[in-house]
Amino acid sequence: MRIVNFAHGEFLMLGMYLAFWSFTLWGVDPYALLVASLPGFFLVGLLTYLVVMRGVVRASHNVQIFTTVGLSILLQNAALVLWTGDFRVLRPWHSSVVLRLGATAFNLSQVVAFGIAVALTLALFAFTKWTHTGRVMRATAQDREAATLMGIDTERVYRLTFAIGIACVGAAGVLVSPLYAAYPTAGLQFVLLAYVVVVLGGLGDMVGALVGSLIVALVEVVGSYFVGTAWKEVLYFLLFIAVLIFRPAGLFGQRGAELIGA
Amino acid sequence: MRHRSTRSLTVLALLATLLAPALAQAQQLTGEYKIGVLEPLTGPLAGEGKRHLEGYEIVRDMINERGGVMGKKLVFAVADAPDPTAAASEATRLITREGVRIITGTFSSRLCGAASEAAARHNVIYWETSCVDPRFTRRGLRTVFRTEIDATGFGWYNIEFIAKHLAPRFGKKPAELKIAFLSEDSSYGQGVTESARQRAKQEFGMQEVAVEYYSFTAINDFTPIIVKFKQLNPDVVHHIGYTNDAPLFWRQAREQNFLFKALVHAGATGYGSPDFGKALGADANGVFALLEPGPGFRIEALRPDGQKLEREFREAVRKRTGSYPLGGHQLAGGGLWILKLVLDRARSDELDKFRAAALSLDLPVGSLINGWGVKFADNGQNANERVQHYMLQWQDGVLVTVWPEEFTTYRAKWIPLGPWDARR
Repeated sequence: MRIVNFAHGEFLMLGMYLAFWSFTLWGVDPYALLVASLPGFFLVGLLTYLVVMRGVVRASHNVQIFTTVGLSILLQNAALVLWTGDFRVLRPWHSSVVLRLGATAFNLSQVVAFGIAVALTLALFAFTKWTHTGRVMRATAQDREAATLMGIDTERVYRLTFAIGIACVGAAGVLVSPLYAAYPTAGLQFVLLAYVVVVLGGLGDMVGALVGSLIVALVEVVGSYFVGTAWKEVLYFLLFIAVLIFRPAGLFGQRGAELIGA
Repeated sequence: MRHRSTRSLTVLALLATLLAPALAQAQQLTGEYKIGVLEPLTGPLAGEGKRHLEGYEIVRDMINERGGVMGKKLVFAVADAPDPTAAASEATRLITREGVRIITGTFSSRLCGAASEAAARHNVIYWETSCVDPRFTRRGLRTVFRTEIDATGFGWYNIEFIAKHLAPRFGKKPAELKIAFLSEDSSYGQGVTESARQRAKQEFGMQEVAVEYYSFTAINDFTPIIVKFKQLNPDVVHHIGYTNDAPLFWRQAREQNFLFKALVHAGATGYGSPDFGKALGADANGVFALLEPGPGFRIEALRPDGQKLEREFREAVRKRTGSYPLGGHQLAGGGLWILKLVLDRARSDELDKFRAAALSLDLPVGSLINGWGVKFADNGQNANERVQHYMLQWQDGVLVTVWPEEFTTYRAKWIPLGPWDARR
């Protein structure tokens, strides 16, 4: 779609709140909720597209940035009004189960979140690579005008793409809910990092994003351990700047892809 | 006849005597006196900011029920300060649009510096009740006052507790203690940590094994720090954190089976916030947080006037929230009450008269809400030794007062902490 959605983190926050309230009020485990949250957030994505994004899809990047930043502020403050600024933590049984592997320890919720995230990424990769709809989505992303000339209903493609994006981030919110507290600005903690990951891997490249996330995590952890936690952001932003200078399309992105459709 | 008129006069005189204070008060509260209240009501500090505002509102109502300030009803112009830029611009708006001559707030050390600079440019009094950044009162500004302890006081108290209460119970001398410092990197965290480091090293010769700072808005994984700390094997972890990072550190320390003898924090956020207990329940057992007094506090240890005020304050908080006063309530409420005392004494918000009244106020520990006293220094800082602080400990989901022992009915437990699963 070539739209950077600055409200993406807020949909993650909504996923976290959904998990919190479902668990607190009805005792629904986040992993059970995941099944319902995917279609639920897909519908939320469709609605958001129709109400907010449709009008700016063809507008300049400045308009898109202001619109999504505005949406982000709206969602943060709606959460603040509805659920206050308190930090909400849910504690399902698996959040306190620790898996030990030699000297290393992993939280079970963390391992499950990682596994499901990888599975979702691969599924999305397969969908865009091998299905007709996926090919249509990629074609539209590469060149909107050419896709229209080929008879593709780009409006429908945008709607679908945006809704899939929101479904994925909503599911991510549900997955991380046993690990992090839900609060109105919880999304901000992740959104910048996610942006670095996506650009590092290559905009629009699913496998690139997966590898990019692992590289950023490695830089964060190794940097925090050997240099100091205060330096971790310095280190991954240095890497980010280096990638932008030497490989503007990202590690796996197609050269020039960052310009197409701009 | 004469007898009857004498009796009527007596009854009238009696009625007048009885009604006079009520009539006088009704007359006194006909006007309003407005002050600005600046708090983070949105953004990452919103939870604490709202609690703080609630504390202000509770004590504002107490003040108005007791004659207001300078004979007028105290009212607020409230503004939202989610970040330092907004704090400065909203302080300016309160002054120029709302016409306030006094601003109070601001919960966070991230915000108080910027907001008070803006107030100083308009020669408006800045009455801070909770930020602890030591630089706040060290800028030569005549307009700033702080009722709360500064971070050097937090650091001082924490090391006092570690050296004199924890070390003997570990069977060690203070100089034998290994201490790891971990802190968020705002002026609050840095202020407390640096003053604690200095005292730990210079006065007690404690062995500092690590100092780590991080950004509380960006941290989402403490594992590398915990792995490093595990290898350094500290006795005490001195952690200054906010409300999103403190539970994360504690949970991940448990996952990594990081064993240490005690964790000590200072402030009404992070481990000192009720959100920490809600997040972890009994898993929070054993953490220490330097704060205003919690359950177990012996009100009878205060001076008689302080006892009365503290009881009335607690009752007002209970009526409004149904709970015990929380740190945010106590800081804001305690500070606002002192502002009332100064305004009543000065009978003016004109800076020189206000300053003279503030500096002349001299009340010993145990006189006010939270058992505080008052003695402002020339730089506007309330004396750290008058702002009595208390060490609280999470015990089965409740943050109870454990030190100084003469002020509490509870005693500190799990010293040293022992294995994670044995803290029940």
